[in-house]
Amino acid sequence: MNQKLKLITLILMLLAVISASACIGGEEDGTAKGADSEVSSQELTVGISTDVNNWYLDKFPDGDGRFVWSQIYETLVRLDPDLNIIPGLAESWETPDDGKTWIFHLREGVSFHDGTPFDADAVVFSYSTQSYVTQAVLRPIESVEALDNHTVKFVLAKPMPLPFYLTHVAWPVMSPSSVDAEGNFISPAGTGPFKFESRVKDQEIIVSRNEEYWGEKPELEKVTFKVIPEASTRVMALETGEVDMIIKVPEYDVSRLESEDGIEVYRKLTTFTDFLQFNSEKAPFSDKAVRQSVAYAVDTEMITSEVLEGVGEAAKGRAFSPVMMYSNPDLETYSRDPEKARTLLSEAGWKDSDGEGIVEKDGDPLCVTLLVSKGVWASRHNPMAQAIQGELAEVGIDVEIKFLEGGAITQLENSGDFDIILRSGYFVWGSYPKHFFVHHSMSPYSHYRNASYDELVNAADMTADEEKQKELYYSLQDFVIEEVPAFYLVHEEKIVAVNSYVKGYTITSEDPWLNLEGVYLENE
Amino acid sequence: MWNYIAKRLLLILVVIFGVTLVSFSAMYLAPGDPAEVIAFARYGQDLSAEQIEAVREAEGLDAPVYIQYLNWLEHVLHLDFGKSVISSDDILEEILLRLPATAELALASLFLSLIIAIPAGVLSSLKQNSLLDNACVFTSLLGVSIPNFWLGLLLIWFFALTLRMLPSFGYGSLENLVLPALTLGTSMAAVTTRLTRSSMLEVLKQEYIVAARAKGLDERTILIRHALKNALLPVLTFAGMQLGYLLGGTVIVETIFAWPGLGKLLVDSIFARDFALVQGCVLFIAILFSLSNLAVDILYAVLDPRIRYDKHD
Repeated sequence: MNQKLKLITLILMLLAVISASACIGGEEDGTAKGADSEVSSQELTVGISTDVNNWYLDKFPDGDGRFVWSQIYETLVRLDPDLNIIPGLAESWETPDDGKTWIFHLREGVSFHDGTPFDADAVVFSYSTQSYVTQAVLRPIESVEALDNHTVKFVLAKPMPLPFYLTHVAWPVMSPSSVDAEGNFISPAGTGPFKFESRVKDQEIIVSRNEEYWGEKPELEKVTFKVIPEASTRVMALETGEVDMIIKVPEYDVSRLESEDGIEVYRKLTTFTDFLQFNSEKAPFSDKAVRQSVAYAVDTEMITSEVLEGVGEAAKGRAFSPVMMYSNPDLETYSRDPEKARTLLSEAGWKDSDGEGIVEKDGDPLCVTLLVSKGVWASRHNPMAQAIQGELAEVGIDVEIKFLEGGAITQLENSGDFDIILRSGYFVWGSYPKHFFVHHSMSPYSHYRNASYDELVNAADMTADEEKQKELYYSLQDFVIEEVPAFYLVHEEKIVAVNSYVKGYTITSEDPWLNLEGVYLENE
Repeated sequence: MWNYIAKRLLLILVVIFGVTLVSFSAMYLAPGDPAEVIAFARYGQDLSAEQIEAVREAEGLDAPVYIQYLNWLEHVLHLDFGKSVISSDDILEEILLRLPATAELALASLFLSLIIAIPAGVLSSLKQNSLLDNACVFTSLLGVSIPNFWLGLLLIWFFALTLRMLPSFGYGSLENLVLPALTLGTSMAAVTTRLTRSSMLEVLKQEYIVAARAKGLDERTILIRHALKNALLPVLTFAGMQLGYLLGGTVIVETIFAWPGLGKLLVDSIFARDFALVQGCVLFIAILFSLSNLAVDILYAVLDPRIRYDKHD
């Protein structure tokens, strides 16, 4: 009897589960349509890949969190869609002593989302020693002082073009009221067009229109950021209409989405360029000729058109994108020339004497390791690395690809036990070419030691005069082409896709930055 | 029985101690300097050696590894799991936040797999080498071979994009549960089907089945009361292990469906070298795994009267 009872209970449970799932099946239609017809109100849903890991200035905001920050927080100095420098929270600025002291005149009548007025004290607060950035990129700041309610003076340890440094969304101006008396963070309070509304961890962040915004008020009433880590899911969520806009569209989906009805794809060259960084501190890449031979062997046009499906622009060794400040349009770049690569190698003593396809010198074959990180760039760097491996094999260089996580790469970098690293970014924000610092001997990521390069970088970064700056950055670009501390591969494109009822979007070159000014949803 | 359970619970403590010790050592031995990784997460790219050293000191990473482990253990014994070194979030809160999502997905996919696998396995064992049997074998082979990330995307494409029946991602409603549970459930069902089939075939060959038939019992009673009940024992063991594995989080499915579970939390924290968070996750997963195994063992005794654990005392 007891046994039968158990059996009956079991069957009943099964039935319950089945009928429950049948019920779900019935409801599904309604909700899916609901997602499609949400267009009536001005509420935008954006698919991003990571949650906001941090809201406060004591830590670096990681990943896509910065696209959310760019709605809430603002900086003293801004960039327009083409990376030209324009006033932000500061209306104007000047340097009385060629870059060592900077005085910013602040916009009046602006207030933070919690009602606190924006004034000089807020700027002092945001760039105080509490702020992580004063221990990192803005380490040269010696003091920040309020001259009056709306004037702030920055004193630096050495001259530098501070306004460019202040454009990055990762170190914006925050309200002193973001923290309580003990210094514990309460909630985000910026001056931006949208204010923080709510967040469900790892799922969504909601921001709503700042009715008091000092600039052009947004059309959108509410923006919901949905966290969708997988790129393919993000694309499908756009196609089903569950989200209205996605950022970071994977290369392989771009042409398909472009040809699809009802979807608009926006593309623009961004500030990032992928590069092959050589370990110039040991053989074989301590020899400039070997580095140059790689530059001749790798066809960046083929990588852009074939591997990246035409997304991006072949860099051919040019250290930074044409959208960057002082990018020399007439720079002499590399073109693929395997013959020249082989000649350079053989002149440097590397010859294929045993005919097995790999060149040797003093009996040692030219075998090198190429490190690729498992980080955010992996999905693009992995296929790129394989293409590079193939091209270098053609001129007799044997490449072993090591696909490792960040910590393992740092360890190999510190021990010097590698030959090439495939990278993107590093000291890249806005249009200012701070990136050259990556090959400076003081940089923790440098594997190149050259005193004249260091001098050029120092001089360029300590100059406030635009003409002189331009001259110095032009010579740095020539230097990188000739000396090849790294070979630059592809200028990246930023890709944003929207459903076509989303109107008025202007894509900006700045990355990470999401410009929602003028965006509205068209009602049907 | 109670005696047995108490003993097993004690054993679980030992197991958990061992697991956390191993995971701590593994984290320590992994390449890369944890202080540097943490400093990078906090300050971004422009790091100085002093900052790295400051982090090392502040987080106690300069102490010998066994001291670090003992410190952690002492805090945990006071039920203080600490804060994430990256986000400063409370670790216990972080884990408890994700536990419901993980449990929901684990139980749903297990149910789904059993609902598919047991009838399929029984049917194919009864009609051995028939078309139906071969179809079952083929399908389950397919189920084992299809990787979850591909099946998941395929299901989204079909149910969310083509049919517009289900949401493609997210967590919260029952509709959100269907596709991830289906992805995990079908691949598990594949193995369980084969297990049920072979176990049934074995049981059906036993003499007591012949005896039951000779007694003149009707085929349904023989099948359900005599054969299936015994054949399910290995299936149960397997299902219990599967449940433990599912409760540990399933990072691929969680990533594809934007499901806020334990698996992704654990993997992200490993990459971030967030020692305390990794240890917290591992501790919880080890507890869940051990408890689900214990539950299976107890169920065993309930289902099979021959197994009485107290006898072994």
